[in-house]
Amino acid sequence: MADFNWRTLNIDALDPESAYNFDLTTLTPEVQPVSSSDVQTLSGQVRQILRGGNAEAALRGALENAPYGADEQGKAMHLSVVTEVLGQIRQAEMTPLLQRMYKDDGGSELCDTLMKYLYKGMGQGHPSSASGSKNLTPQATGFSQVGGRNFGGGEGGGQAMSVFLSWHEKLVEMVGPGSIVRVMSDRRTV
Amino acid sequence: MSQSLRPYLSCVRSTLTAALSLSNFASQAAERHNVPEIEAASSPELLLNPLTVSRNAEERVLVEPSVNSVRVSIRIKQADEIEHILVHKFTRFLTQRAEAFFILRRKAVPGYDISFLITNLHTEEMLKHKLVDFIIEFMEEVDKEISEMKLFLNARARFVAESFLTPFD
Amino acid sequence: MAAPQVHHLFHAPVADHSFSADRQTLAVARDTSISLYTRPSPTSPTFTPTASLRGHDKTITGVDIAPRSGRIVTCSQDRNAYVWEASPTGEWKPTLVLLRINRAATGVRWSPSEAKFAVGSGARIIAVCYFEADNDWWVSKHVKKPLRSTVTAIAWHPNSVLLAAGSTDGHARVFSAFIKGTDARPEASVWGERLPFGTVCGEYLNPTAGWVHDVAFSPSGNALAYCAHDSTVTVVYPSAPDQPPSAIISIPTQLLPFTSILWSSETEILAAGYDCGVYRFSGPEWRLSGTLDTVAAAGGGGEQREESALNMFRNMDLKGRSGGGGSGGDDTRLKTVHQNSISTLRAYEGGDGEEVTRISTGGVDGRVVVWTL
Repeated sequence: MADFNWRTLNIDALDPESAYNFDLTTLTPEVQPVSSSDVQTLSGQVRQILRGGNAEAALRGALENAPYGADEQGKAMHLSVVTEVLGQIRQAEMTPLLQRMYKDDGGSELCDTLMKYLYKGMGQGHPSSASGSKNLTPQATGFSQVGGRNFGGGEGGGQAMSVFLSWHEKLVEMVGPGSIVRVMSDRRTV
Repeated sequence: MSQSLRPYLSCVRSTLTAALSLSNFASQAAERHNVPEIEAASSPELLLNPLTVSRNAEERVLVEPSVNSVRVSIRIKQADEIEHILVHKFTRFLTQRAEAFFILRRKAVPGYDISFLITNLHTEEMLKHKLVDFIIEFMEEVDKEISEMKLFLNARARFVAESFLTPFD
Repeated sequence: MAAPQVHHLFHAPVADHSFSADRQTLAVARDTSISLYTRPSPTSPTFTPTASLRGHDKTITGVDIAPRSGRIVTCSQDRNAYVWEASPTGEWKPTLVLLRINRAATGVRWSPSEAKFAVGSGARIIAVCYFEADNDWWVSKHVKKPLRSTVTAIAWHPNSVLLAAGSTDGHARVFSAFIKGTDARPEASVWGERLPFGTVCGEYLNPTAGWVHDVAFSPSGNALAYCAHDSTVTVVYPSAPDQPPSAIISIPTQLLPFTSILWSSETEILAAGYDCGVYRFSGPEWRLSGTLDTVAAAGGGGEQREESALNMFRNMDLKGRSGGGGSGGDDTRLKTVHQNSISTLRAYEGGDGEEVTRISTGGVDGRVVVWTL
């Protein structure tokens, strides 16, 4: 009995009444479970529409059927589809497309979902390269600075991020900070 | 100045403006206490979804909002080992004086270089849009400072090496 | 539209404010005490500080003056509430309120009948307090059941029995706060009839679940509006007890969240929040129809241009800033009347069945502003 350190026990976690055990599922009442195969079919459909040349319809389809109930894999799959669609749309077309989408019925929800995908896309790719550089020997330190600071970042990753950033700028111009607040408070994450 | 810097900073600005809607909230877990909920994390419903804004894998900002406090963590671009050391020293200089800074957090969140903790007290005393302005300016300036420090470092090293090795000629 | 009357009281947040019925006295929550301001003469436009009610240890979160009896109720983060009565000598005497909560109190409101008041708290309890004459104190009955997190806002229905509460668990609920002996049996309404204390008459949640900052009943009591942290204003029209509501209209806005909401008439709602301005929503389709700040901003524009050159050089001298144009050089002043978020919105003229024509707002910048609609 003396071996167990009672002070490390989190008493709040064991008390069903405490504020620590707030049931977050009460805040997301309508989410239905979606299987990965459903997500895959949806992705396939969206990609087809995209190949057909109608990027706007592809984007709408992808956003309207966002799989809130899928598991991590399903969500990641859907995110890659949305990224593809966003990358296909040109700069000049972004603002008119967003305006059309916003004016429709339920348009602000679509815009909110788009905002969620933008943030999720930017949240990916956590830099594991951070720890790698610490292992360099002191010798290498002196010579590695010849490379200089690399503005603009890595090739592939940087490209995708600048797509997200430009979409974000255009979207915020239209929907304002209210949409960002909704992304923060909505517990149904994409 | 890269072309993606401006959208990156405007994205951070709008995210911060949205996150800085803070109110005075007394703790639910301890009576007569008023703690920044993002640090105490005692009740999951008081914390909002964290948002990341990233320009590329090396530069990102994590904004973690809650009902009465926001934690903003910045990862600064470090291209090589020498910049890594410079950033470390620079942030250490600032974090050791965190009390005078008010909004600075003494330890950065793991994975990031520097973190700010802004609570409802700060938004009551100071203007929100100026706080956001400050953080954006900080992000702009830090890159410039690090490059400047690196240039000076190189110049010094070259000068010292020259003057040391010349007699051996 | 007359210009708003700005009373810049001090440089601290005004958590809550309340006017007396004749609008001559203003009670303002100032950190741990209440500052009472009165007008030197009935027609004077400014307020002067007269008394200070001290008794609380921690920040005061709610203050309300009962219109007819003139009693002031205050609640604070130190888990206490007091009812202050003016004695003939002009001193304010506090009466103890037995709240029996073990967390901070977040807000307090007198019921329209002034026989009881409700206090929301962080203990996930609403304490409905009524006066017990035998012991000369106020006792409370607790509403606990479905509340799962701090209660942030409370509002009374005109019949003084139904109580709406907003909480950080994202739900806006309507309870019955009927106290035998203090209340007369209410008539049947769309919310239900024959309601014992504590029954839940309705529970509403937005799909974008944000913390509810404020709730308000419509002047007739047949609709409920609440504003939440997800930047939406939701209006609920109940149809019958135990039936799903006939309509729930949720308006997502492009602005920052609202912290306070008020019905000025059956077809207009006013909301104020982190954008530091008051916005109007007009029904019945409920669309954002405008703001009360436009007049003030337009009036200031002309003078600003003349002074901008002077300000630019002054900034260069004092702050080392190179100006960069008129508004860029000195953007420490917001264009809205309030310089920081608005915390409470209350009716100044009107209310209680009539249309509201003037409102008062209290903000985090220490200003209390009276607006004319």
